[in-house]
Amino acid sequence: MASLTRHVSPNVVSFVEYSVSRTGFTRFDLYATGMAELYYDTVLQQLGLSDYEALIGGSDTGALRGEISEATRLEVERAITYLWYTGAWPRIAPAAHAELRRQQANIEFVVSPDAYTEGLVWRAFGGHPAGAKPPGFGTWSDPPSCLPDLDEITTGIEGKHRGSAPGPTAPVLPESPDELAALLPGPAWAYFVTPSAHPLAAESNTTKSNPLEGTS
Amino acid sequence: MTSAAATTTARRTPRRRHDVIIVGAGMAGSLVAKELGRQGWDVLVLEAGNGGTDTWPGYLDSVNTFHGAVAKVPNSAYRSNSAAPFPDVLDLSPKGMGYQAGGYLRQNGELPYSTDYLRALGGSAMHWLGATPRMLPEDFSSKSTWGYGRDWPICYDTLESYYRAAEREIGVAGDVDGQRELGHRFPEDYTFPMEQIPPSYLDEVCRRLDGAEVTDPVAKKDFALKVTGLPQGRNSTPNHRYEGGTGYRPKGAVGLPNYGERCVGNASCIPICPVQAKWSPLRTQAEFSDTVSVATRCVVTRLLAGPDDRVRRVEYRVYNDPATPVSEVQSAEADIVVLAAHAIENAKLLLVSGLADHSGQVGRNLMDHPTLVTWALAAEPVGPFRGPAHTSGWEVFRSGPARSSRAPFRIEIGNWGWGWSTGAPMSNVAALLGLGGAPDGSARPDNGIRGPGLRYALGFLISRQIQLQFAVEQPADEGNRVTLDPDHRDGMGVPRPLVTYNLSEYVRSGFLAAKAVSDAIYHKLNAADNSTYTPQDGVAPLGHFIHHDQHFTFHGAGHGAGTHVMGTHRDTSVVDGWQRCWDHPNLYAVGCGSMPSIGTSNPSLTMAALALRSADRIHHDLVELHRPAYANGHRGHIGERTVPVAAQPHTEERP
Repeated sequence: MASLTRHVSPNVVSFVEYSVSRTGFTRFDLYATGMAELYYDTVLQQLGLSDYEALIGGSDTGALRGEISEATRLEVERAITYLWYTGAWPRIAPAAHAELRRQQANIEFVVSPDAYTEGLVWRAFGGHPAGAKPPGFGTWSDPPSCLPDLDEITTGIEGKHRGSAPGPTAPVLPESPDELAALLPGPAWAYFVTPSAHPLAAESNTTKSNPLEGTS
Repeated sequence: MTSAAATTTARRTPRRRHDVIIVGAGMAGSLVAKELGRQGWDVLVLEAGNGGTDTWPGYLDSVNTFHGAVAKVPNSAYRSNSAAPFPDVLDLSPKGMGYQAGGYLRQNGELPYSTDYLRALGGSAMHWLGATPRMLPEDFSSKSTWGYGRDWPICYDTLESYYRAAEREIGVAGDVDGQRELGHRFPEDYTFPMEQIPPSYLDEVCRRLDGAEVTDPVAKKDFALKVTGLPQGRNSTPNHRYEGGTGYRPKGAVGLPNYGERCVGNASCIPICPVQAKWSPLRTQAEFSDTVSVATRCVVTRLLAGPDDRVRRVEYRVYNDPATPVSEVQSAEADIVVLAAHAIENAKLLLVSGLADHSGQVGRNLMDHPTLVTWALAAEPVGPFRGPAHTSGWEVFRSGPARSSRAPFRIEIGNWGWGWSTGAPMSNVAALLGLGGAPDGSARPDNGIRGPGLRYALGFLISRQIQLQFAVEQPADEGNRVTLDPDHRDGMGVPRPLVTYNLSEYVRSGFLAAKAVSDAIYHKLNAADNSTYTPQDGVAPLGHFIHHDQHFTFHGAGHGAGTHVMGTHRDTSVVDGWQRCWDHPNLYAVGCGSMPSIGTSNPSLTMAALALRSADRIHHDLVELHRPAYANGHRGHIGERTVPVAAQPHTEERP
């Protein structure tokens, strides 16, 4: 542990430790992106130092300006997770943005071109970032790579690190299509919709447009 | 790689008089320039946009721009340009049940023309997919066969040798036998330069349905499914049997030798191939002879014709800084002027100059391939977001007597998951996290998915994403048109294009059939259809329409065409079969704008074939103009540049 973090500031170390249990990737994977310091700087800049300390820093002194609601704390946790997965800082819920009294515009931006290529989402399904890390001619014909199951992922990030958030206790993916629709994105209403503003499939009125659906 | 004729600025072009001036350094313009330069003619190519991508650092800059863009739309690798503005798909947004158009294109049609193009070195072909199917022979005569659209004045067989020339120049990878089964005609022993791009794993999943029958309820006919590979302008394994065993050496990246000589699966063809395995006009430009000059940042603003209807002068504005439209007027003369600036820009320039419009068809017949996108969750992982955007399709709905009852369509098997339809995979991350808040703006309650559960769920849900794209034929319709909007001008004072666009009943009937076919296919694949197009809270998605009580959304495919249509007579068309303007013997308008129909195939290869054919004709015209005078006076005089006797009249094409 000491050799891995000798040249990394303690703040970045604790930021990465915080991120392990939120992302489901090991600290090795997170450091391997090369983005740890850049993401830490981004989050600090987006939240401001005092709110960062209150929400993530884990300092025992608590928030310097009163309580921040649990909903906003959760939204910030989601935003940091999104940052690791996509390389972009997202648009957060307007209520959270307002409660944090942020000066920056509430829009999504890619932190750097390299951050895009280091997004974890591509690894999560066994792929590569579109436009980078090409796997080679003809590899798109191969069967998709086998993905680790939930136990393997959970075991992978445990060990010395317990994580500051509990792992899932219930099966992650629901069976019914309606419940699944609450976890899937719905259609874009314009050519591009910022990802965190996409409606969920459940909110897009998944009434089939073909009235004959299900009768064949 | 031979060294490129370097792009230059207008000030450094050596002369003000050229054999040929070509407006636009895109696909058509570059092909014509290379061919004429090869014949020794002096060619000046005027490109309105920026250059730079012809050097490797400049190209990498475009790749980085793409990586850093939040909205990974087709133009996302290229910066906007105030001096030579162009439309972006981001310009459009829904408004109530309709739309509003910001940005460069003004629009007043019932439906939005939701296609973009690019004004930069290489043009829109910089962000094309690289799909190079030919048009079907029957696509050339839809009017006389089924009573819709417009007939071509030439036929497939007339164009066939030029298709082969285009396939050589671009470097097409494909399987001729698969194309023969669709009705394309080739010489007996013809092969494409390179072997077919390997089909994707999803293509093979879909191939399990081969032979299964699907009912088209609009055509009232059953069709048997068969997956066919797509010919592509993308480097693949060379075919050693090409040209009687001569073989083929793939051409790679411009500015970096021995690189990009085979696709390595970056899966970002649109908007940019990071290794240049996908063909772009830069590659053709790198082979320009010394007699061809390319001047970037030169916006052609007007063409001036003399009393003999010959175009005498090309007026253009030169700028240094694309952030401002500050510019300086210059002009040049040429024996032949070729417009190759894209269907909409060609029409705009003709309208601004008041040229070529005896028929009243300039700007009319604007076409695209309105595309229905459907998406579903497969029962097993299918490996999306890998390889070129699509490598195979279902072709059986493109042809045959069913075209008399509904618009035909080509089904593209999408290899990039739900990207186009739902913004995957980034929107998957947001959706699973519950990030961004509920519709009322409050943060969503905790759904318990985080960490390992999030990673597992993303893997599960993204790996099963299937998307199908149905490119529907849109026939020529005079009501779909580009006109000028003199009340709204761009930074240089040129009136901006005003687009009026709609989808006819015939096209909408194609959507009805396409959706039914989509439903049947997903059912056979045991995939859970997630497609939906209904308005939410009084706001309809962009491109929404209702047909026979069903909701649909269409997307533009980027295939602008028809605006200077080709025909048999000057009363009813703008250009003849050689793409030469009926009204001006030394003016050509090349590009998809000449096409009377676009069938169900991506039009670029056909545009390339037409451009090469026009280049032959232009060379012939130039030879005629340069014929020496004879004592008996049977030929024209070079000094007076009178119209040579041999060049009149326009020859009518025999189909």
